[in-house]
Amino acid sequence: MKKLLLVSLCFLLLCASQVFAQGKTITGTVTSKEDGLPLPGVSVKVVGTQIGTQTNANGVYSIAVPSTATKLRFSYVSFVQQDVAIGSSSKISVSLNPDAKALSEVVVVGYQTIARKDVVGAIANVDGKELEAKPIASFTQLLQGTAPGVQVVGASGRPGSNGVIRIRGTGSISAGSDPLIVVDGIQVQSAAYNAINPDDIESVSILKDAAAVSIYGSRGSNGVLVVTTKAGKPNAPQLRYSFRFGKTERQALKNVQLMSSAEKLQYEYEAQYTNPTLDSMMTNRGITATAQATGTKINWIPAATRQNLWDIAISRGAGDWAKYLFQTATMRTHEVSLSGGADKLTYYLSGNINDNPGVERFSQFNRKGGRLNVTYQAKEWFKVGTNIGVTATHDNRLRENYNTQNSGGALYFFNPYEQPYLNDGSYNSTWQGFSPLEGAVNNPVSYDRVNQFGSFYGEASFFKHLKLKSQYAINYNTLAYQTYLQPGSNLSNILGYSQKTDQNQTDFFSSITNTANWNQTVGKHSFNGLIGNEYDKDEFYNSTATARGFPSKNYTTLENAATPTVASTSRTQFSLISYFASLSYDYDKRYYVTGSFRRDGSSRFGADVRFANFSSIGLAWDLKNEKFWTLPSVISDLKLRGSYGTSGNNNIGEYQALGTYSLTSKYNDQTVAIPLKLSNPTLTWETTYQKDLGLTFGFLDSRITGEVDYYSRENKNLLYNVNVSTTTGFSSYVGNVGAVKNSGIELSLTGTVIRQKDFKWSLTANYSHNDNKVTALYSDNATGVSANGLNKLKIGEPINVFYLVNEKGVDPTDGREVYYNIDGTETKTFSGGQSQIQSGKSPNVKYYGTFGTDLSYKGVDLSVRLYYSGGNYIYNQIWMDEVSSSSVTGNLFTEASNYWKKPGDVTPYPRVIDPATGKPDPIQATENFSTKFLEKGDYVSLRDVTLGYTLKNKYTKKIGLVGGIRLFAQGTNLAIWTKFHGNPEVSEAGETTSYSGNLALYGYPPIRGYTFGIDVKF
Amino acid sequence: MKKILYTAVLGTMLVLGAGCSKTKLDLYPYNQVATEQAFVDQQAVTFDVNGMYQGLRASGSYYVGGIWNILGDVLADNLVLSQAGRQSQKTYYQWTYNSTSTYGLFTGGYTITRRANAILENIGGFTPGTFKNDAMGQALAVRGLVYFDMARAYSKIYVNAADADYTLPYVTTTSATNMPASEPLKGFYDKVIADLVQAEGLISATGSGVTNIRMNKQAVAGLLARVYLYKGDYTNCIAAATRAIGATPTASTIPSIALFPGIWTDATASDGAVLFKVKNTSLDNLNTQGVNYYQAVTGGIKSEYVVDYTFNSLFQATDVRKSSYISTSAYNGVMQNHIIKYAGRAGTPAGVVDGKAIRVAEVLLARMEAEYRNGAATIPAAVADLILLKSNRYTGYVSTVDAALTGTALLNEILLQRRLELAFEGDRFWDLKRLNQPVVRDAVHGENADGSGTPPSSTIATLAVGDFKFNLPYPQGELTFNPAIKQNPGYN
Repeated sequence: MKKLLLVSLCFLLLCASQVFAQGKTITGTVTSKEDGLPLPGVSVKVVGTQIGTQTNANGVYSIAVPSTATKLRFSYVSFVQQDVAIGSSSKISVSLNPDAKALSEVVVVGYQTIARKDVVGAIANVDGKELEAKPIASFTQLLQGTAPGVQVVGASGRPGSNGVIRIRGTGSISAGSDPLIVVDGIQVQSAAYNAINPDDIESVSILKDAAAVSIYGSRGSNGVLVVTTKAGKPNAPQLRYSFRFGKTERQALKNVQLMSSAEKLQYEYEAQYTNPTLDSMMTNRGITATAQATGTKINWIPAATRQNLWDIAISRGAGDWAKYLFQTATMRTHEVSLSGGADKLTYYLSGNINDNPGVERFSQFNRKGGRLNVTYQAKEWFKVGTNIGVTATHDNRLRENYNTQNSGGALYFFNPYEQPYLNDGSYNSTWQGFSPLEGAVNNPVSYDRVNQFGSFYGEASFFKHLKLKSQYAINYNTLAYQTYLQPGSNLSNILGYSQKTDQNQTDFFSSITNTANWNQTVGKHSFNGLIGNEYDKDEFYNSTATARGFPSKNYTTLENAATPTVASTSRTQFSLISYFASLSYDYDKRYYVTGSFRRDGSSRFGADVRFANFSSIGLAWDLKNEKFWTLPSVISDLKLRGSYGTSGNNNIGEYQALGTYSLTSKYNDQTVAIPLKLSNPTLTWETTYQKDLGLTFGFLDSRITGEVDYYSRENKNLLYNVNVSTTTGFSSYVGNVGAVKNSGIELSLTGTVIRQKDFKWSLTANYSHNDNKVTALYSDNATGVSANGLNKLKIGEPINVFYLVNEKGVDPTDGREVYYNIDGTETKTFSGGQSQIQSGKSPNVKYYGTFGTDLSYKGVDLSVRLYYSGGNYIYNQIWMDEVSSSSVTGNLFTEASNYWKKPGDVTPYPRVIDPATGKPDPIQATENFSTKFLEKGDYVSLRDVTLGYTLKNKYTKKIGLVGGIRLFAQGTNLAIWTKFHGNPEVSEAGETTSYSGNLALYGYPPIRGYTFGIDVKF
Repeated sequence: MKKILYTAVLGTMLVLGAGCSKTKLDLYPYNQVATEQAFVDQQAVTFDVNGMYQGLRASGSYYVGGIWNILGDVLADNLVLSQAGRQSQKTYYQWTYNSTSTYGLFTGGYTITRRANAILENIGGFTPGTFKNDAMGQALAVRGLVYFDMARAYSKIYVNAADADYTLPYVTTTSATNMPASEPLKGFYDKVIADLVQAEGLISATGSGVTNIRMNKQAVAGLLARVYLYKGDYTNCIAAATRAIGATPTASTIPSIALFPGIWTDATASDGAVLFKVKNTSLDNLNTQGVNYYQAVTGGIKSEYVVDYTFNSLFQATDVRKSSYISTSAYNGVMQNHIIKYAGRAGTPAGVVDGKAIRVAEVLLARMEAEYRNGAATIPAAVADLILLKSNRYTGYVSTVDAALTGTALLNEILLQRRLELAFEGDRFWDLKRLNQPVVRDAVHGENADGSGTPPSSTIATLAVGDFKFNLPYPQGELTFNPAIKQNPGYN
């Protein structure tokens, strides 16, 4: 298919370059008024005829015109079109004015593109340029800070990992709160997010309010990201090559550090702990000691002997385990793109290779992909087009469990005096009995994905005002997942078998969309109507095979194994039928009204309640265009917007409405049937009701522009578990209960300080504030997300408000931790039953935004972005673990040494030794879940600094580099300011937590990095 | 012309919704059946019966995939924490559990009994006969087994209980809106007994395709003996035990010393010693029972808990149980007494072994204790049973001393044998509770084989008789949702 398209593309290009030969010939040069450089590929047409040509690489054209011709029309994308009368001269040279607003003037909204100035809804637009060139392989993470109202947490530094995106807060409790992502008209499955090559993105429209999202109805309740990939422009082919080279490294821990060998050994000695390493050293050396009333062996041997052992252990030990677990990774990207077009055909063709080893040793992510976007005006009234993207990714992943097999955890769990490798070069299994280095090498886990995006459409425009479009689009994703317990690996020796699992998944999502769009202006009345329907279907197929007994690790296919143990396939489907319509009207570009309606049916709900209606209304008033007054000239733009409407959410698993028995388990290797779900035939849509009030403004000839929005959105009938008594054998079923409200303001502001031809300087800022609140629940005070009972769902509080015992501090008289009971009295006995709602303190980020500046002088440009985020609280479990003396078996933070030793000591951490017995105090040894380790997650990050130099002049043009050369250096997360202990940008650590930002656990650490790049345009 | 055609086609599609019939939204799972379809025929019911046993195996709190085989030991005086271990089950070891720690035992139990209830609710329409009787019998038996275990964990034991003492609800319905209340403990025991008595009458006896990986007539009788012992109904205990294992157990059910270790490796020749076990196949591959006690690591066994020093000394060198249950070997250069009862079958995968729920030896021990307590008439039978057991455990056993035992000395020997026999099977704590005895751990010796190491600290060395920690707390989530269930005293 792709090949065929390429061939036809080349053929059409040839046709387009043929020139008519007749009559008088006019020649000339077309230049840009901005810099005086010649413009290649400018369309030159004889007005009123089909005769036309293009300028060549030097901006020169030559056209034969008939004697009847009166005017030549020069048109070029991003420049103002210009008509020039044909006189007697046979030489016409023109200089075109750049059209600054040309690109930003259109916005892609639901199923259509409209002019920016006609936008009624709250829509943020992110230029693709902001997503380019960073050492992060994930398009979702790159959106951080790009627009108000869009919160992105990208804590996991694993290359290719998705960011957690929340548009206007978290609206759902158990249904998904991720926005809908639509690429070129097709909904993209979350597994394919990281297959989108950021460099292919032309723009991202972020639809936020009801007026904008309602046309996506059922799926719009958490916002919509509409991604448009680059299209060719009807001019000369432009070839672009870019290369990026970058380095990434683990972000250092803030405000804390791990103990060195000497510090840890000293602490152990004080805590009367004999570690297994020293214990076996003593055994091997025949060192014995007489037991005493207190202490352990390490306390009983002579000081000199002890020091000697310590010195040996320190010299052998790993020291900083980070050296063995992490690396400075080298990232490389090559990209080639070719875009262009002729009268009837545009094309964009790109290919890229991205190689991104992670900062964890042995992890790896690489991506190879290509894209072909073509449009062809087959008839005057009929256009066809296709957008095809194919990406293959390979991902070697390390485990992110909360255990020793995870490098992110091993950093803390392993002692600095322990050796990574034994003297014979083999892996040291350490006190944990497991080497993560060995595990990563010998128990590899890999994900190979192929993601294909394709949309094919035909568009007929006739009757002048009516445009009909039908589109068939697919997102086809395959995954080959392999996990191998290699023969000879530690785990395989322990378990007594080697084993490999091969899992293959295919996910075929297809969508048929038909729309009719009517666009007409009658006098001062403009109408834009849209009706359409859509049918989406998803087919998910999984096959899993496992076998044991591999002859050697060199055999990686299951056919070589002795015993197949699992052969299984599974399949799920869902479908969605939708009908939608919208109508926009404006009078004299002063008063705007827009309404939309959508009816959706989802297979996920009960048979009688599958369909629901969603609608919205939006109003706008352009105060600048108002005729009843004249605003002072200092105001260049002023528009008031407001909207109200509904949208829906069906982001839950399949078949939840059905009461079923599962047949997938076995007993004695025979089929079993076990009750799986309670039925709920009334299960239906979660619905969002959203209102928005916004103001778009521009002052001083648009030197200052911006937008401010107030919104309030309430998700009602939440798809949420309804509890039943656990004596029924179930704990819950999925129902429609509860409501969550998010309200807030968003502000974006851009100020141009200097705007001269060679010198430009602008400042930009955006700010978002969101208040999240549970407004209704099935049962108040319900258990929140954390398995440790740290969170609650309570009416009037944000989702997953923390629920903890209040801690006072350590009593200086006896070194015991003091807690508060619910009644306010103090106690030294910890009881989880005394936990209290920590009002207002939750993992939900309250405010975030960006400060930035862009500066360019001649060819040099500099861009700086600071990202800030705060108002959220994080339960810092790493901190808790790493200062508890019960964690003495693994490494600790240096500050753990600051524990109570004698009466009068004012310390943050309780006593390790009970003075009454002279022995370790087991009660004080474990820090309990209390407010002590609940921390603010506020931080400011120097998110992005880019310094570039563009060389673009007649010399570069002479050597064929028409578009010039750009060199740049870029840094990501170069600095972070926070009071948090550790890394504040915590997120869902892959396999450990289930609510973004709730717990600081041992996930893949966040990264900092820098990139050097070169872009060459031919 | 084409223009008109295109318009017509597209217009039609728009109007008709692109052929979007609403039936396209009727999608059903490929791996599930509707609840109404789960009892349509004998095959379906067979799957449902299998489902109960799958529950016993997969539960994180019960027989194979759960903590049941260590819970009664880690709470009691058979084990000491190995400091080098992963510190698992420490809340039980230190008796620091609260109403958020014991969720699994509660919900896990009801998950299984619900499966039994569904069978009993739906079996009515089947033709009377062996199939129906056996299915009903198995459902009643599994329900009784699980409810009895739950009551042991959460409540007092019948013999020590007052009429006012309550326990968890004995749920027999599958209604999702059921909000049951705490029940009188004694009534609960009576319901367990009634279920098991009914089951024993319905269920098939072993032989001809009925094996010990499902509840059968003998297993139900054995379970009844256990329950009667806890109830203090010694006459019925003796009778039930005899129905389960015969007046004199045969060589195949009380295997010889040579065959005894085979019980723990699921050897066919020793299989008669187990009345009911939960099957754990190589494909199920659950090694939890062993991992509860230790993990095999490069260069040895890394124990979570090792044998209490004093308790270890009670195993005589001639006792086959010592070598079958305990292995003394070095971890990190230090000798420890590791528990190897669940090391697994011969071959791979390592550590995968069936979960023994009711053994002949336990029923024999229950009978000899009941015979002792039942009065003078049955004491000779108690002595005979004791000698039968010991002659199949001790190499070179001479019965003279035991034959002469009377009174407390006899009882103590019976209880010692019970402790030794059922060690590390999750029985000890419930037994201490039944006997109204405290937990007294060796507070002097640590986890190493020579007694060095870290002994239990003074706060966790003893649990006095009557301490509220003998009864585990009900999960707070359930109490909050269903206030009709009362928390045990002592927990707030």
